[in-house]
Amino acid sequence: MSGTGPREAVFPTRMNLTLTKTRLKGAQTGHSLLAKKRDALTTRFRTILRKVDEAKRLMGRVLQLASFSLAEVTYTAGDIGYQVQESVRKASYTVQARQENVSGVVLPAFDGVRSKDASDFNLTGLSRGGQQIQKCRDTYVKAVGTLVELASLQTAFTILDEVIRATNRRVNAIEHVVIPRLDNTIKYINSELDEMDREEFFRLKKVQGKKKRDAEKADESRQGQNEEYRAQGGEVHRDEGIRGGDAGGADMLDQGKDDDVIF
Amino acid sequence: MEALGFNMSAGFLEGVVRGYKGALLTQANYHNLTQYFRLQLSSTDYGNFLANEPLPLSTATIADKATEKLVAEFSYIRTNAVEPLATFMDYITYAYMIDNVILLTLGTLHERDTHELLERCHPLGVFDTMPALCVATNVEELYHSVLVETPLAPYFRDCLSAQDLDDLNIEIIRNSLYKSYLEDFHSFCQTLPAPTSEIMTRILAFEADRRTLNITINSFGTELSKDQRARLFPTIGRLYPEGNNALARADDVDSVIAAVDHIAEYKSFFDKAGVSSGAGANGAEEASSSLEDEFFKHDVELNKQSFLQQFQYAVFYSFVKLKEQEVRNLTWIAECIAQDAKDRVNDYISVF
Repeated sequence: MSGTGPREAVFPTRMNLTLTKTRLKGAQTGHSLLAKKRDALTTRFRTILRKVDEAKRLMGRVLQLASFSLAEVTYTAGDIGYQVQESVRKASYTVQARQENVSGVVLPAFDGVRSKDASDFNLTGLSRGGQQIQKCRDTYVKAVGTLVELASLQTAFTILDEVIRATNRRVNAIEHVVIPRLDNTIKYINSELDEMDREEFFRLKKVQGKKKRDAEKADESRQGQNEEYRAQGGEVHRDEGIRGGDAGGADMLDQGKDDDVIF
Repeated sequence: MEALGFNMSAGFLEGVVRGYKGALLTQANYHNLTQYFRLQLSSTDYGNFLANEPLPLSTATIADKATEKLVAEFSYIRTNAVEPLATFMDYITYAYMIDNVILLTLGTLHERDTHELLERCHPLGVFDTMPALCVATNVEELYHSVLVETPLAPYFRDCLSAQDLDDLNIEIIRNSLYKSYLEDFHSFCQTLPAPTSEIMTRILAFEADRRTLNITINSFGTELSKDQRARLFPTIGRLYPEGNNALARADDVDSVIAAVDHIAEYKSFFDKAGVSSGAGANGAEEASSSLEDEFFKHDVELNKQSFLQQFQYAVFYSFVKLKEQEVRNLTWIAECIAQDAKDRVNDYISVF
């Protein structure tokens, strides 16, 4: 029997049937839309994954270069760490966040901005190794740039991952739960309606049969009464009614055409 | 005639220094070091100086330990020295003292706890009253305690007032102090008898010229004005005075090359470093590291030469410089090995 699966608790009425059918249609549209969204996101996700991989490799190389240039500085200028730390007054490299929209998902994207007046410690190492320090600084700025890019990709990666999961969950939920349930509901309503039809038909038959039996009974008893009455010497007339008698029973509507009616 | 009396006071110490010098790492040592760092180090004069260090070894530890050894050797000689060698050796430490005082000034300017900075100070430049400088809470106090407590007082008095400490860039202060120091050291050396003064003049002249050139090149594109720059040039050296004047006006690397044109050695540095007149600013940046290397090489060369003459004090100065270079080399090799940059590992400057 249909309706064994889970279905919604509705009364099996025609209105609910129409309603449920509309909902089924909506669910199917939603399903295909979500599936499209999932595909778009997955494509994007793959691209980002590839970029993350590249950026990570690049980061490895750049950071190695950077720390090597720091070693060069240490070789020529000695330990300048404290001096550099102290002479920094404001950040020369800032990160700005903006938003990027991918199929309705807002991804944060970071841009590294190097401020123009970043000359706080360009006198460091004036007498020894100043050039190396500037070079090292530039290398590190590049390294930080790579890190920022990686951070932006990584964040997008995590967010997209989550969104893809959610979308997948929804797609699967619609496909495997909502649509079957609506299907079941429709089948249930249909079967219930059929059942009701059959019951109604049976009931009508029953009523007809009863009526027929009652009519026969009444007829019989009237015959009997008539007989009885006739036996007592009474006369039984048929009710003639209007235009009864011999002419009775003629069709009132079919009396030939009136002459003055043209059509 | 100096040789007559020299051995009475300084003969033993000269012997010790020459012994130390013999223990400096040689080319073969370096070559082996680049292959098996720790293994080879234990077979040199450094012995088992890393024996008690926990693994993994950082390059900073190696540098610290090597510096410690240098300081130990230096202070041994210093304690045994008599005048005028004692004063001479004190002068050597002044350079490091300048760095330390500058470090403390920096800390005070930014209102940090200067006691932490004491550990960061170069051990050669440590003087007894240095912790007293930490008591100073503002720049004014610091300035006065520097005047009272340190041997650097004349340099401070000559070129700075208390206000300057506040206003000027710390690097400018450092270089002005260093300039006074070089000039003072130079005039002190002139009072010493002949072989010492000759050799020290040569070394200090080069040191001064190197600073002049570096300051000029490094100040391109910074807010340092030409007047300020000219004030930082030491008034000794082979470039003084007309070379200095030319450098003070220099705007780019080409004019620097033109200024040093009449001194063959310096010209060859630029040639070797490949700062050609056509290379422009980018070329200068690329090549300046090798220019620095050329300076180091020449420095080592001069210091090596001072060992060729006996009965003079320059060996002590040269020994400290060579040892310092050796520490740098060790750090460099260790760093290269740690960072897996085998192709650059041979860029050290071999001492012997």
